[in-house]
Amino acid sequence: MNYTFTLLLLFRLSMSFGQSCDFTLSGKVSDEMGNPLVGATILLAKQNRGEVADENGFFEFNKLCSGKYQIEVRFVGFKTISSSVKLSANKVWNVTLQSDSTALNEVVISEKHVELAATSTYSSLSGKALEETLGKSLGESLREIPGVNTIQTGPAIFKPVIHGVHSQRVLILNNGIRQEGQNWGAEHAPEVDQFIASNIIVIKDAAAIKYGADALGGVVLVNPAKVPTQAGLGGQVHVIGATNNGSGVLSGYLEGGLKKLPGFGWRAQGTIKKAGDSRTANYVLSNTGFEEQNFSIATAYHSEKKGVDIFYSHFNTSIGILRGTAVETAEDLANAIEREPPQYTSPFTYDIKQPRQSVQHDLLKVNAHLAEGKNEFRLQYGFQNNRRREFDFRLGAALSDIPALGFQLQTHTLDADWERSHSTKFQSCWGVNILYQSNSKIDGTQTIPFIPNFDHYTAGVFAVEKLTLNDWVVELGLRYDFKKYDVIGFNFQNRLYRSNIDFQNFSGTFSTKRKLGNFSSLTTSISNAWRPPNMAELYSLGTHQSAAAIEYGLLLDEKTSEVKEYTATGARVEKAFKGVVGYKIEKQKFTTELTGYVNYIFDFIYLRPRGVTEGLRGIFPYFRYTQTDASFIGFDLFSVYQLNRQLTLTGKASLLRATDETQNDFLIFIPSNRADIGLRYDSKPIKKFSWNAEIKIRWVGMQNRAPQVITPREIIEAQKQGIDIIAQRPDNFDFAPAPDSYFLSSLGLGATWKLEKSKWDIRLSCDNLTNEAYREYTNRLRYFADDVGQNITLGIHFSF
Amino acid sequence: MKTFRFICLLLVAGSLLFLAGCKKDDPKPENIPEAITKATLTFTPAGGAAVIVTATDPDGDGPLPRTLSGPINLVKNVSYTLKITLINELAKPTDPEYDITEEVEEEADEHMFFFAWTNNTFSNPTGNGNIDGRGDPVNYIDSDAKGLPLGLETSWTTINTAGNGTFRVILKHQPDLKSATTTSNDGESDLDVTFNLSVN
Repeated sequence: MNYTFTLLLLFRLSMSFGQSCDFTLSGKVSDEMGNPLVGATILLAKQNRGEVADENGFFEFNKLCSGKYQIEVRFVGFKTISSSVKLSANKVWNVTLQSDSTALNEVVISEKHVELAATSTYSSLSGKALEETLGKSLGESLREIPGVNTIQTGPAIFKPVIHGVHSQRVLILNNGIRQEGQNWGAEHAPEVDQFIASNIIVIKDAAAIKYGADALGGVVLVNPAKVPTQAGLGGQVHVIGATNNGSGVLSGYLEGGLKKLPGFGWRAQGTIKKAGDSRTANYVLSNTGFEEQNFSIATAYHSEKKGVDIFYSHFNTSIGILRGTAVETAEDLANAIEREPPQYTSPFTYDIKQPRQSVQHDLLKVNAHLAEGKNEFRLQYGFQNNRRREFDFRLGAALSDIPALGFQLQTHTLDADWERSHSTKFQSCWGVNILYQSNSKIDGTQTIPFIPNFDHYTAGVFAVEKLTLNDWVVELGLRYDFKKYDVIGFNFQNRLYRSNIDFQNFSGTFSTKRKLGNFSSLTTSISNAWRPPNMAELYSLGTHQSAAAIEYGLLLDEKTSEVKEYTATGARVEKAFKGVVGYKIEKQKFTTELTGYVNYIFDFIYLRPRGVTEGLRGIFPYFRYTQTDASFIGFDLFSVYQLNRQLTLTGKASLLRATDETQNDFLIFIPSNRADIGLRYDSKPIKKFSWNAEIKIRWVGMQNRAPQVITPREIIEAQKQGIDIIAQRPDNFDFAPAPDSYFLSSLGLGATWKLEKSKWDIRLSCDNLTNEAYREYTNRLRYFADDVGQNITLGIHFSF
Repeated sequence: MKTFRFICLLLVAGSLLFLAGCKKDDPKPENIPEAITKATLTFTPAGGAAVIVTATDPDGDGPLPRTLSGPINLVKNVSYTLKITLINELAKPTDPEYDITEEVEEEADEHMFFFAWTNNTFSNPTGNGNIDGRGDPVNYIDSDAKGLPLGLETSWTTINTAGNGTFRVILKHQPDLKSATTTSNDGESDLDVTFNLSVN
């Protein structure tokens, strides 16, 4: 650690020697009323450097040489400002943007390719708010955004849920590339190092028609900061420790450019995490430790009109799954549910044993863009290699060291688009997306593979047109996709089957934004999206880790145990129609965003408990992928009230009502209603020092709209009397009732020193302050154990 | 501009190559060593013919139900040795993973059979078996390295009166758990079958 610091210092000294490139340009972006414009983009046009204004509207460029700079400041709904600034010393440059009802400028996030439509409904996590989630996984930090929840498998596996839907219905764009991993299980978390993000954006309507037809729930954009384009060296180091699971995180990056080659820049980044068993209020959650080792390298060359980016990242994780959840038969499941603490609970350790997962994900991205007059062309190629292995306790120690599940998924994507500005009021973007994906089992698992080997081809074309009419911005998008699956797998009798399926469909969006007076705006969007059943939904056979039930795919014939042809079954593609209305009011002391949505999904695919199968190991509850029509209706609220210069009150709420419309029933694992309230104090800066304190309270309601309960014990008792209780009570069911509502409180203290050339941040926080014993409905460990207890985190962040 | 065109060409060409791909060979089927597809209970009296019952499930965790033969027809007031064999018919009889009994024997310190029966069918052991109480009598013949019972071989003496009932066998996998006090509720089930039993 010391060594690293020394090295960094040496680097810094050597790079800055003899140069006058150490100036800082900082300032604040605000509107006419003096409100900070959070998320405004500040660009140094010639240098191709960009910053995003933080939650107080502040931005800062470091390592600037003396000279004249062309600055551009943009924000949706405001006139773009271009100005030149002469720099011969550190400078503070504040800017006020004027609102512009005719503005059609897009928010440029990190790269030109990742753009948001002016009319879309989105929330972002950037600046301080993002910094305060550092050390958590991507999924966990996304929970800060209203309308976003997680499906969780223990303390380390979080999957984002947007407006009640998840997995392949949520598209994650990691640095502009569709994240493609084994994304079909609830215990398959996104393979993304959260530390690479300089901002995270969640698009809640299906406006991202440019990226695919399948984002029925929404899109998560993980955007790294732009690679620098001029000489100098910069970097960040984060050191974080937490008491609950004894975790330690070390992450950082170095970046720079070459004096001889203006426009060229590079960044090298890495993260190491290690955590032991988590603890609930009363006991250790044995075997819930995890570790992560990630790194990425980025390099870019940008000139005024063209640029090339190359990015490579490697993600490697090993995650333990609570030992007491490794049950399969109804008898074992009944015992595990009735027992507390879970079986195999033992003293705290960093060791990770079975059941555990080991996942590696590599991403290579090459991106080129070219601007020619009113046209802009972009071309992007991505290659991803995902390797997932899951280890279980198996018959014999030798077998336990062999993964029970192993897959390698390779994905090539090619995206090209052409954007034209016909006039200031009319723009269009046309493009093509091509994807080729190949999944193969890792030989030697000595189990029947859960999903088959397959080749997956997708080709899509899209056109998006934008028109500005007085107070209105109107956007229309159309898309056509063709998909083909080529499948070879093994059925329950370990016999080979083959299958070929193709799908095609259109999707579209229509959205508008209307400025209402000076302070508020209304966005509306209607979109449709479609998604073919994925491989697990079609073919799965087996048991997920900690799922405690066998899963059968849509194509499995229950009578013969054979896999049927797609066309011979009633399986269909999922089709969603989503309407979103967003109202936003931004006044000097008061900001509120209210989003309402209706998502009606035809042929929604979900796991439905279907019955009990008797094997030699006992009786097993089994679930079958089933299709129904489902509706998701809800509201998200986000509100900030500035009590005075120091005190800020924040409120958040998410309400959701999901219904199985066909059967007039409830769906399982739907996030319950929740609300957060926070009070924050920010001190006046005392010279270079400032501090803040924050208290937050979160209330999570009980899910009252949960399906009926049939306990495994009831299933066993009924089976003894020759009764199939699941057939007798055919509605959706759950093994245990929904947990009670709960309150969690947290406390945070932060301090910042802004020195001439560097910045120190220290943050001490305590989550679950009162060490509450609680269970969360969307955490699959709720059947077996309480959720995580009190956790104190200390983070030190240094940037220069 | 030229560089840009070149990069574009390179990318398109590269990805077309990938898309064309090469025809792959069929994946190799896995050996499935853990699937118990057939359990055989052989009751052998001191003299005379053995009584054999089987439980089979050809598709493992698949939806097809298991089939049980039986009932177990025992003669009253006779001593039997019960041997349990477990095989995996998804493998060939010549494959090492065909015989799972051997695997259980090798992992004796992680495995234990538990038994339960109704109607006090046996005079030795008495009672209703050790599934509901670890301390209840069952006559184990074999044991693991620590001297804890295993149960692939057990001995039984029927009572002197005729009657019907059931006979349940559970094999528990108890890695890092098995002790003198672990019960049939500890660990995970590798086998759990219930046969009809009649004594004449």
